[in-house]
Amino acid sequence: MAPLLFEDIFNITRIDPDGKKFDKVSRIEAQSDKFDAFILLDVNIDVYRINKDKRYTIGLATTLDLDGGADSGFYNQTSRETLADRYEYVMHGRTYRITDIDYEGQEKGEIFVSFGGLLMMMRVDKSVSKNFQLDQRLFLLMKRTE
Amino acid sequence: MLRSHDNVQFTKQPYIEDNEPRRIESIKFSMFSASEIGKISEIDVFRGVYYDAQKKPIANGLLDPKMGPPNKSSGLCATCHAKYEDCPGHYGCLTLALPVFNIGYIGAILDVLKCICKSCSHILLPEKECKDSLKRIRNIKLDSLQKTELRKKIIKKLSSKQEVQCLRCGYLNGKVKKGKTALQIVHTRPKQDKNQEDSGPSPPSLINPHDALLLFNQMLDQDCELLYLNNRPEKLLITNISVPPLALRPSVFVDGGIQSNENDITERLKRIIQANACLSQGLQDPSNSFKVLDDWDYLQVEVAQYINSDVRVAVLQGQQPTKPLSGFVQRLKGKQGRFRGNLSGKRVEFTGRTVISPDPNLKITELGVPLLMASILTYPECVNRHNIEKLRQCVRNGPKKYPGAKFVVEPNGDKRDLSFSGRKRIADELKFGYIVHRHLEDGDVVLFNRQPSLHRMSIMCHRAKIMPWRTLRFNESVCNPYNADFDGDEMNMHVPQTEEARAEALLLMGVQNNLCTPKNGTILVASTQDFLTSSFLITRKDTFYDRATFSLMCSYMGDGMEIIDLPTPALVKPIELWTGKQLFNVLLRPNAQLRVFVNLMVKEKMYCKPEDRTTSCREETMCPSDGFVYFRNSELLSGQLGKTTLGNGNKVGLFSVLVRDYNAHAAAACMNRLAKLSARWIGNHGFSIGIDDVTPGKLLAEEKHSNIVEGYRDCDGLIKSFTEGKLALMPGCDAAQTLEAQITQKLNKIRETAGKVCMKELHWRNSPLIMSQCGSKGSPINISQMVACVGQQAVGGRRAPDGFIDRSLPHFPRNSKTPEAKGFVANSFYTGLTATEFFFHTMGGREGLVDTAVKTADTGYMSRRLMKCLEDLAVHYDMTVRNSNGTIVQFFYGDDGMDPGQMEGAEGFPLDFERLRFKVEATCPTGNHVKLSPTEISEIVNRRLLDYDMSTGGGCCGAFKLKLLEFFDKITKRKCYVSEQQLQVFLDACVSRLRLKRIEAGTAIGAIGAQSIGEPGTQMTLKTFHFAGVASMNVTLGVPRIKEIISASKKISTPIIMAKLEDDNNMKMAESVKGQIEKTLLGQVSKSIKLVMSSIRASVVVKLDMEKINSLRLCINAYTIKDKIESSLAKRKNDKLEVKVIDDVKLAIIPKAEKLEAHFVLHQLKNKLPTIVVKGINTIERAIIADEEGKKGKLNLIVEGTGLREVMGIPGVDGCKTDSNHIMELQQTLGIEAARSGIIREINKVMQSHSMDIDIRHMMLLADVMTFKGEVLAVTRVGIAKMKESILMLASFEKTADHLFNGSVNGREEKIEGVSECIIMGVPMQIGTGILNIRQRLALPELKYGPEPIIA
Repeated sequence: MAPLLFEDIFNITRIDPDGKKFDKVSRIEAQSDKFDAFILLDVNIDVYRINKDKRYTIGLATTLDLDGGADSGFYNQTSRETLADRYEYVMHGRTYRITDIDYEGQEKGEIFVSFGGLLMMMRVDKSVSKNFQLDQRLFLLMKRTE
Repeated sequence: MLRSHDNVQFTKQPYIEDNEPRRIESIKFSMFSASEIGKISEIDVFRGVYYDAQKKPIANGLLDPKMGPPNKSSGLCATCHAKYEDCPGHYGCLTLALPVFNIGYIGAILDVLKCICKSCSHILLPEKECKDSLKRIRNIKLDSLQKTELRKKIIKKLSSKQEVQCLRCGYLNGKVKKGKTALQIVHTRPKQDKNQEDSGPSPPSLINPHDALLLFNQMLDQDCELLYLNNRPEKLLITNISVPPLALRPSVFVDGGIQSNENDITERLKRIIQANACLSQGLQDPSNSFKVLDDWDYLQVEVAQYINSDVRVAVLQGQQPTKPLSGFVQRLKGKQGRFRGNLSGKRVEFTGRTVISPDPNLKITELGVPLLMASILTYPECVNRHNIEKLRQCVRNGPKKYPGAKFVVEPNGDKRDLSFSGRKRIADELKFGYIVHRHLEDGDVVLFNRQPSLHRMSIMCHRAKIMPWRTLRFNESVCNPYNADFDGDEMNMHVPQTEEARAEALLLMGVQNNLCTPKNGTILVASTQDFLTSSFLITRKDTFYDRATFSLMCSYMGDGMEIIDLPTPALVKPIELWTGKQLFNVLLRPNAQLRVFVNLMVKEKMYCKPEDRTTSCREETMCPSDGFVYFRNSELLSGQLGKTTLGNGNKVGLFSVLVRDYNAHAAAACMNRLAKLSARWIGNHGFSIGIDDVTPGKLLAEEKHSNIVEGYRDCDGLIKSFTEGKLALMPGCDAAQTLEAQITQKLNKIRETAGKVCMKELHWRNSPLIMSQCGSKGSPINISQMVACVGQQAVGGRRAPDGFIDRSLPHFPRNSKTPEAKGFVANSFYTGLTATEFFFHTMGGREGLVDTAVKTADTGYMSRRLMKCLEDLAVHYDMTVRNSNGTIVQFFYGDDGMDPGQMEGAEGFPLDFERLRFKVEATCPTGNHVKLSPTEISEIVNRRLLDYDMSTGGGCCGAFKLKLLEFFDKITKRKCYVSEQQLQVFLDACVSRLRLKRIEAGTAIGAIGAQSIGEPGTQMTLKTFHFAGVASMNVTLGVPRIKEIISASKKISTPIIMAKLEDDNNMKMAESVKGQIEKTLLGQVSKSIKLVMSSIRASVVVKLDMEKINSLRLCINAYTIKDKIESSLAKRKNDKLEVKVIDDVKLAIIPKAEKLEAHFVLHQLKNKLPTIVVKGINTIERAIIADEEGKKGKLNLIVEGTGLREVMGIPGVDGCKTDSNHIMELQQTLGIEAARSGIIREINKVMQSHSMDIDIRHMMLLADVMTFKGEVLAVTRVGIAKMKESILMLASFEKTADHLFNGSVNGREEKIEGVSECIIMGVPMQIGTGILNIRQRLALPELKYGPEPIIA
């Protein structure tokens, strides 16, 4: 099946917690139900509008290939169906920092990803965070869930 | 067989040596005697005439052709039959009727006359002393400085006495002094007859040159030696003048050959001849002896002025006050004189100068040379088989058509001019080995320079690129080192003419090799202005590009010529979009073949600290305003790029990291790409400023208004309480000072808050805001001045002064202290200033202009002195720093032998471990390797430290090792686990980098040090600063302070002693120590000083204020005061008085004077008593108890004044830790090493107060040079004369003539070793690449054993 490292449904708690600094980019703060993951994510609201009251499915994958074949990093000219087709908003980036922290008594892991400058921080249970590696190329997949 | 003399032609021509190349080893200075002058001259000159009616020079006149042709058009030399151009010139001789003093030697003559008997010419020393001194002065180990010292001692000894009797002839000698004019020597003989009381001293007699000559003639040779005269003293006088050759004083025909214009020297000689003729005529006629004396004086004056026209002589009648004719000394001295103007600095060929303009399309190493310039400047290129066709074409094109050539030089030396026909034939005949002087072409090496050349990066080597139009063009990134802008600046270009010069220029002066300044290792060549702005905008978080735009921009940065790997878009869906940051990834690493992995973390200006954020994420990169720049393996992960990352003046930026981790080429290539991208991007994007950028919004205007109203109200409140006298005083200030300080503080706050509001309220697209945020231009203050409020105008660090009586301008009431009346400008430049505000603004503006104008001259002279003092210091192969004659100044340069220009870490530390660890961690991932435990880490590190390359001998000093261990302690504490591989890579990188950072032997580290200290001087503005914590205590800082330090002033403007207390948390103790130190006068501690007159006696009664004394903890009582009064008043013998202690608090002082005077004496006493020091140190005005810097509760004493020794001796003061900012006092009390560290510390303090980072090694070197002779020598003409031996060097600095005259009297020998001397003599100096000499191993002659062959 799909090579997703992580997928969950998030409730958006805040948009731009430190004030709106950029026209086209907003930082969203969201909390998930299943894994109790906390996420801070920069989203290009110019092309993908975020509605505060809606719930969003956010997934992370190492490749868009449905068979799980490694991503080459080159432009794919074939029109095969990819993972991206199942989502509304897809970003590509790289993990640059993974740390273990003690968050309110729980052992959690923090994963930091930069999608060409749009940053993501996910604080999630250690069992999830250990699936990620440093300097790993990642796709962020996002869609609205009713 | 040919005999050697077979080819000698027997002629009457003198034997002339062949002109093989020779090296001048040394120059010996000496004096010419009369006979020597006669020998070298070709002719006697005695007629003061020039030309006859036929414009022929008159024989035996001043222009006699025997001395050389007087000008170009006047035929051949009568002596050597050469043309004007070739004749070296020949001397003439002018015999004087009577001897005269040589003005240059007058001091020496005076000194000799002081020491000899005016009757028998023997030295006035006893035989034994004479022998002893002679022995001492003959010691070959003495250098000239010590000999001069000995000579001075003898002279001082002999001239101190009023009268000396000659031990040989019994003649009574008096004092010899300079007379009224500079040319008179007066001998005041003591009274002849002791019995005749009233006769008075015999009239002073003049010693005339003739007498002096006779005396000198009699002198013994050994006496001369004793007085450090290298030659016979009679040579000090002039009996005949050597007339200089005509080549030195050409005669020029003006007005089409009607009139001749004679040189000043010629005219002077003419006057001498006239005066001489007059005198000799007078001598023939013995009747008129007075006239003879007058004539003699006149001749004397003329001869003196011939040598030095500045000599002050009595104005003679008939002399018009016209422009004085210059003498020989005038030719030599001064900036335009021979030494500084022609010998130290020479005019050169192959140079160009024109206006500069920017061109971002050029590489940073390139220089756009206008075609017009390129077709005038040439380079001699040797023809070989690779370039023959190109050069043939050049030759065919000739000098006018580019690319052409000017000359062709054949190997035999024949030079062919190509400006005439026949070029084609010459081109066809071109052979290998010919040299073609061709026009400049692309890629030629040129030097580029802008004045003032304050540091070595002011002249750098570029590659020429020939371009149309008329300006010299270069990449804006290189503006910084030249300090150039394009408002009409002109710059110079030089073309090196040999391959050796080119190679050296390219390697040593190339832009690529000078990206970092040797001042402290920060990057100097970096992006500026528009490049920063566009990078800032490109890397904004919300810049997105589609495939077409992104690809276009990728091709911008390399002219579409580079291979570029397009990255995966950051946004894949709903549409493919790339971010601006990804463009930077491409810029850093266009394709995968380029193995550049940049890793760095930088906090930009708008970085928002984690504490200020609302989210729970504490990670630095997650800064909401994107102010944390994070590059990981050449990928820009976060952060908007600004000046800290891309700009100059730091060690943490992108280009610094590229230079250090990779090489200069990587950094240069990156700068080139950035320049091209930025220029094109900003051209398309557009960036401008308009009136709407400075129009404040409604909110801003309201906030500003309320802000100002509030501020004014506060100020009014302060003024009110001041007038009512209710103002609470600040420590150490009176009421007026307190008011000023508080109002100033309030007003500054107004502008500050206005500025803050501005930065907050302005839209992010506001151009000034963008510029200030990215650091390209302007500061928040500039913006707030335009938009909100200009703020307080300061003149001399204070509010606007009173230009009228009690007020600044007549628009205000008297004594008004309100903000408006004292120069506060509440308006902004947008709203416009009122008339008074405008006036105050001009006052502030003018001060700035005046300050800069004054400062440039000041710092320029300081730099010159520093340079002259340090110019010849170089690092040698044994890592010592030596001066030109080999004296060691430092045993190990900077204590670690590191190159200041290569230092990566803060405070001049060679490496930045933290960054290196970060890089190793990123480039060499942990992967599946095992993480090491702390014990394993320390084990590996300690094992590595034992290797040879980590030992001191391997170039790794102890301080470095300590820091390394300290660093590992830190990381194990932080639990940063590393793998074994990472640790190995890290340690190896440390060692290999350290090795590369060692200073190269031959580096002219002295010159670099002088520039590094001199150059920042131009940027220092404020003169004084407040002392930390104490408002009223000022310390001199800036240029005046540096001047004070390096000229080793005996008296400095703000001497301060920092005294540590033995018990530093006891306020009571501190106060009592303070009372001990501070000067306390009797007047301050007495309740009353009264005159008490009774019938028996009259006295002054002092009543002490015991309350005050106790509160100040002074520990004094009537008895101690009695001693003080006695000791201070008894100094003068006449004051006879008695001090009586009446009780503990009362004293009576009874003067013992005659009754008539008693009244006056009493009043005198009463006036004097209050000023008697009863406690404390005389030289100390006050002491202040303050908290130690950064440590609360730790007390120390700040003492204003001198007297370190006394302060250290006060009980309660910790003498071991007490020190002063007075260098000379430090030397006297604590010794030379204390003075050395004092110099370093004080210079460092000044530099830090102006936030200027200068490597400590430069200051160490300066301090060492100032102290290496065992005493503190100033960097002034006096000090430098004690440091250096070379006459030429000293002559080229200051007091040119004095040094030359003294040198010849003492017969000094000039070994041409130093930098100045080598430049003057035109030989390569023994510094840098010149430090090497070639010693050829000659093959041993092969010795053959056995019979010689029969057939050769």
